[in-house]
Amino acid sequence: MAQTFLDSTELVLNMGPQHPSTHGVLRVILKLDGEKVTGTECVVGYLHRGVEKIAENRTYAQFAPYVDRMDYVASVSNGLGYCLAVEKLLNVEAPPRAQVVRVILTELNRIASHLIWLGTHALDLGAITPLFYVMREREDILNIYEKYCGARLTTHAFRIGGLQYDLYDGFEEEVKRFCDIIGPRVDEYEELLTGNRIWIARLTNVGVLNAEDCKAYGVTGPLLRAAGVKWDLRKAQPYSGYQHYDFEIPTRANGDSYDRYIVRVQEMRQAVRIVRQALDRIEPGPIMAKVAKVIKPPVGEAYVSIEAPKGELGYFVVSDGSTQPYRVRVRPPSFINLQAVDRMARGSLIADVCAIIGTIDIVLGEVDR
Amino acid sequence: MADPQNAEAKPKPAAAPPAAPKAPASMAATPWEDELTRRLAEQYPDQITEFSTYLGQSFLVAKPAAVVSIVEFLKLEADFDYLADLTAVDYPKRSERFDLVYILYSFARNERIRIKTRIADGEKIESVVGVHLTANWLEREVYDMFGIEFANHPDLKRILMPDGWEGHPLRKDYGILQMDNRWVKENLGIESGQ
Amino acid sequence: MRRFLRTVFLIDLIEGLWVTFRTQHPRNICTDQYPRERPKIAERFRGAPRLNNHPETGETLCIACNLCAIACPEALIVVSSERNEKTKRKELTDFTYDLSRCMFCGLCEDACPVDALELTQDFEIASYTRDGLIWDRKMLEEGPRPARYKF
Repeated sequence: MAQTFLDSTELVLNMGPQHPSTHGVLRVILKLDGEKVTGTECVVGYLHRGVEKIAENRTYAQFAPYVDRMDYVASVSNGLGYCLAVEKLLNVEAPPRAQVVRVILTELNRIASHLIWLGTHALDLGAITPLFYVMREREDILNIYEKYCGARLTTHAFRIGGLQYDLYDGFEEEVKRFCDIIGPRVDEYEELLTGNRIWIARLTNVGVLNAEDCKAYGVTGPLLRAAGVKWDLRKAQPYSGYQHYDFEIPTRANGDSYDRYIVRVQEMRQAVRIVRQALDRIEPGPIMAKVAKVIKPPVGEAYVSIEAPKGELGYFVVSDGSTQPYRVRVRPPSFINLQAVDRMARGSLIADVCAIIGTIDIVLGEVDR
Repeated sequence: MADPQNAEAKPKPAAAPPAAPKAPASMAATPWEDELTRRLAEQYPDQITEFSTYLGQSFLVAKPAAVVSIVEFLKLEADFDYLADLTAVDYPKRSERFDLVYILYSFARNERIRIKTRIADGEKIESVVGVHLTANWLEREVYDMFGIEFANHPDLKRILMPDGWEGHPLRKDYGILQMDNRWVKENLGIESGQ
Repeated sequence: MRRFLRTVFLIDLIEGLWVTFRTQHPRNICTDQYPRERPKIAERFRGAPRLNNHPETGETLCIACNLCAIACPEALIVVSSERNEKTKRKELTDFTYDLSRCMFCGLCEDACPVDALELTQDFEIASYTRDGLIWDRKMLEEGPRPARYKF
């Protein structure tokens, strides 16, 4: 670091836990030299509710509503991961109709999660308008959820072995209508942001994480794809019938915040593509596999992970043959991606820290569990 | 609405179906053998005690002293360059109380394996932060939740629970309503968080 | 050069503002006039619980089987019953539902074999006291009665 003629001392600044751009209750201790960040430390745990402990004291089906409360902007993905993990232990598979519905709902959820990310991230950087627009589109998705399963946010949409609710009348038309409007709306966001010079200036070369760093820090999801690694669990290890869908994995080369923005926007478009294909695949049939009323998986363990909007979401479930899981470990993408904030923020300016925290797309409910 | 698909409530005993054949008390895993296990067995003849597959997921059981070296070997020689997760499972009745589980993934092979090792309460295990940076927070979480200490960890302290908290919540002997009353009283000024 | 001109003429700003002005039309305004207008609640919405009575006889449908209490992840349902000596059936005496801990997951209504317990579309369940959220059988059968405002 260049010596300044002023006798500067290191400044320690506390950002959060109550800070609007830490997306919840994240506390970041910043070591500053002037405006330059020389080190960060994240203090997490303010939202720790002991979800893993709760799991050990609930039956398998009873725990399902709790997983929605981890990543609450992508609760359907959480539910899917948990259901898949227990289904793996039980060695059952959801019937085809249930799988297609699961794909539709999780992809809509991916769009909703990315929309929220886009709105809040833009808001952090001073662009207020996109937030209102993304909320408008997200409302359509939440309305579909409300009609489908009765809840908007913490949906509890899936059950172990399939679905609880069958599709309501008009589901397909409604989703189709949403698919038709979301494309032009995403174009609108791009008009607002992609070419916007403030947006570009704030994001390019901010929070760079190359592919090597990503792997070392275990960073997954859009961050990894923005660094040029074409890796998506939906393609690499398909679950819930993703192998039948034709979609692309958007990647970029630089691994900076702007690339992550582009990747997420592209992912929304791909998600719409998947939803459209899935709508054509809906076929009549049962929605629930043969699962005993009392879920009692044989002794064993399984790790199942899915591509949640934020990265790899894994569930490691250990069964001791009783009705309650012996141990449920959640591998939260936000928690692990957040760890890389130190690498990304070191050497950048303090104003960029907001951009960096925003670009990771964390949800503190998932970080702290 | 009355579909009780997911009710875990048992119907009355009289209506219960005849008991299913008793499930085995241990995991019905099958041996795992391929080119990788041969290399590993050659490299670590006495350190790895088991190669198994359960539900199509492969895992190996190793001795704690060899874990870091195995993880490093897998990273350098077999492309397992991504530590997906690191966690622990508590079996209080066993003499070696904890199972440490390392979940590794290889981008090149598109393969996932688990390394399991057993350690006793109070025993220290070497940290893998030197091999995978992501293990930093994961090991801190394991320390926080189970009280397993990692030697040579750069910054081993609690991560989710507050710093002065006593007890490790994910141990099986820690009750679900239990808390550190002293901490709660000192820091929150209330008698109990319940 | 093109980029320079774009910068000079503030093209990106105008593009962005065009999007903004496009959505200014009054028909795009969608504020709900609650409580004057009641929002439309989805049929499957899980709100205030209700204990259903038989529409003709007025007797409770609940058979006091306790399945809902077992299904509940938060164990917030308490069903008390006594055995009727004449009919040898369990009869419901009281039903307590602690709404303050309820997360509206719907597992109880899924578990109910006779459609007696149901999570309804009522969403106005706020109460001034914590005790007001612990509902007994009478409250569950009648449903919440939120204040109605006159305009």
